[in-house]
Amino acid sequence: MSQARTVFLLLPAFLLVGGVFLLPFLLLLVTGFWTQRPDSWIVEPTFTFENYARLFTDPYFVTAFARTIWLSVLATLACLLLGFPVARWIASGRPGKSLMALLMLMPLVAGALLQTLGLVNLLSLLGVVNGALKSVGLIDSSIRFLGTQLGVLIGLVQAFLPLMVLPLATVLAKLPVAVEEAAMSLGASRFSVWRRIILPLSMPGIIAGSVLVFCASLTSFVTPQVLGQGRVPTFATIAYQQAALVLDWPFASALAVALLVILGAALGLVSLLKHKVLARGVPA
Amino acid sequence: MRTPLKFPMYAAIAGAAALAGLTSSSIAQDKPFEGQTLVVGVWGGDIERLLRENVVGPLEEETGANVELLLGGTGDRVAKIYAERNNPTMDVAFLNIYEAPQALRDGVVEAPDPELPMYQAIWDGMNNGCYAMSLVGLGIAYSKALVDSPPEWADMWNPEYKGKIALAQYPGSEGDGLLGIAARLEGTDETNADVAFSKLAELKPIAMTYTNLDEIFTLMEAGEVAMAPMISGYVLAGLKEYPGIGFSFPTDPGPVLIRDMLCLVKDSPQPELAKMFAEKALGIQNQTAYAQELFFGPTNKNVALPEAVSADVVDKPEDVDALVALDWPFVISQRSEWTDRWNQEILAD
Repeated sequence: MSQARTVFLLLPAFLLVGGVFLLPFLLLLVTGFWTQRPDSWIVEPTFTFENYARLFTDPYFVTAFARTIWLSVLATLACLLLGFPVARWIASGRPGKSLMALLMLMPLVAGALLQTLGLVNLLSLLGVVNGALKSVGLIDSSIRFLGTQLGVLIGLVQAFLPLMVLPLATVLAKLPVAVEEAAMSLGASRFSVWRRIILPLSMPGIIAGSVLVFCASLTSFVTPQVLGQGRVPTFATIAYQQAALVLDWPFASALAVALLVILGAALGLVSLLKHKVLARGVPA
Repeated sequence: MRTPLKFPMYAAIAGAAALAGLTSSSIAQDKPFEGQTLVVGVWGGDIERLLRENVVGPLEEETGANVELLLGGTGDRVAKIYAERNNPTMDVAFLNIYEAPQALRDGVVEAPDPELPMYQAIWDGMNNGCYAMSLVGLGIAYSKALVDSPPEWADMWNPEYKGKIALAQYPGSEGDGLLGIAARLEGTDETNADVAFSKLAELKPIAMTYTNLDEIFTLMEAGEVAMAPMISGYVLAGLKEYPGIGFSFPTDPGPVLIRDMLCLVKDSPQPELAKMFAEKALGIQNQTAYAQELFFGPTNKNVALPEAVSADVVDKPEDVDALVALDWPFVISQRSEWTDRWNQEILAD
């Protein structure tokens, strides 16, 4: 096929991607440098660094960024710890693995709002969790989950656990059982098998799952908005407040761009890490 | 033998064509907006349903036009009419009271026309920025288990309820209204923001910021939240399902007057149809339905409500006089700064 013909055939796809993705993205990028007239909501294309300056000098926003990244890291670690055994179960072909896989997929199809409102009922002061803890005598007075970082973290883990389990299960399923058996037959303890064989071999799955959970947590809106009850501001809730309620679009654009830059940086870091880990190969 | 038929045949065809032309032209006269589309931006849910029944249906029937409702929050609509201000595609936009005067000042909506009958039918002084669509008051929803009688504003500061007061997300009418009340309790008004914020900060820790009514009502009925400033209207409609929750219209000072506004977008593609839509929306039939089903007070002076409905609705001149009116243009000018203060002085622990 000639080159001209290839370009011609690809043109609709280019136009679509350019028109609905790249152009709005460029607009977002430039709006972050534009000015909102004083006492007006009209945005003028007058260049300013003010939006970014505000973003990086106001301790409120800086703290909110740090909090968002911190929560995302914790959510990733929690998903990894909770997800690994589940992924291994699904991959191992034990009885009930299909049911487990189905249960894992449920949050992905249920939608964020439905799950989060369900969690409100579970986690509120008089909710199911506090009720159960009280009835078995573990606590005397209710634990405040909602409106705290812990509550948001629980929500993030619940929502994004499948994003960790699915790639992990795929990688673990390909791991030959014979390798583990061989190691054990040569006298390796269960712990060494886990540390020196299973963990390194499942690294691609761990990295893929971690990237997915981290990015999803960083950009999550419904979970911190509903479970945080306004007391746990994150990137996404602040961007929503500025764009939809304050109507300060240039500042909201700057926020969105800053979030994208952090996402990009995180992905870059992970890709570097991945190359290093995979280049090192499986320990002998 | 076929020739003689020619003339009558042609005549019949010509006659039929003429008749068809006549009918279509008479249809065109009856339905002058046939094939045209009016775009209206409005909230979804009950408001959409009532508008479809009382305004969209009859308007489409009478004019032949097609009315397209774009559903969403006012943030979406404001963004749209501002972004498209040189080439608007939306004709009518329903906005909040705090958005309408700014939209007029920025030249994106038409100024209400005092010569029009629909303007004159509305209570005097209500058409700020756009046409006043409905009247509601910011009052207090309270848990009957924790609060014995309908509370006054000052009761929210009673130490007994410390940590049990919930607030709506800010910025919004509820928060602005409460700042106005806090300032008035200290003998001043919202223009003295420092006083308002420090009074409001006395309510800390805030029990929660709620994002939907079912969530807050559940917690209120369970006794986890004692009071929350809320806007009458569909809150009152929704409360009918929660016997454990009451709604108080305080008297000292009174509830804060809040209005939904109907705006005609400046230089919109269908100005005539937009006006016809507005006439019906502001008309007696639709405003009566708003009051009966959603507890939204009519702005139209000519609406007469049954006593039972009137009790829960702002609909009489004395009701309106008892309400606290905020300096909305000032409030709007402070929006960004007050949001930062709210986040840091009211919500942060």
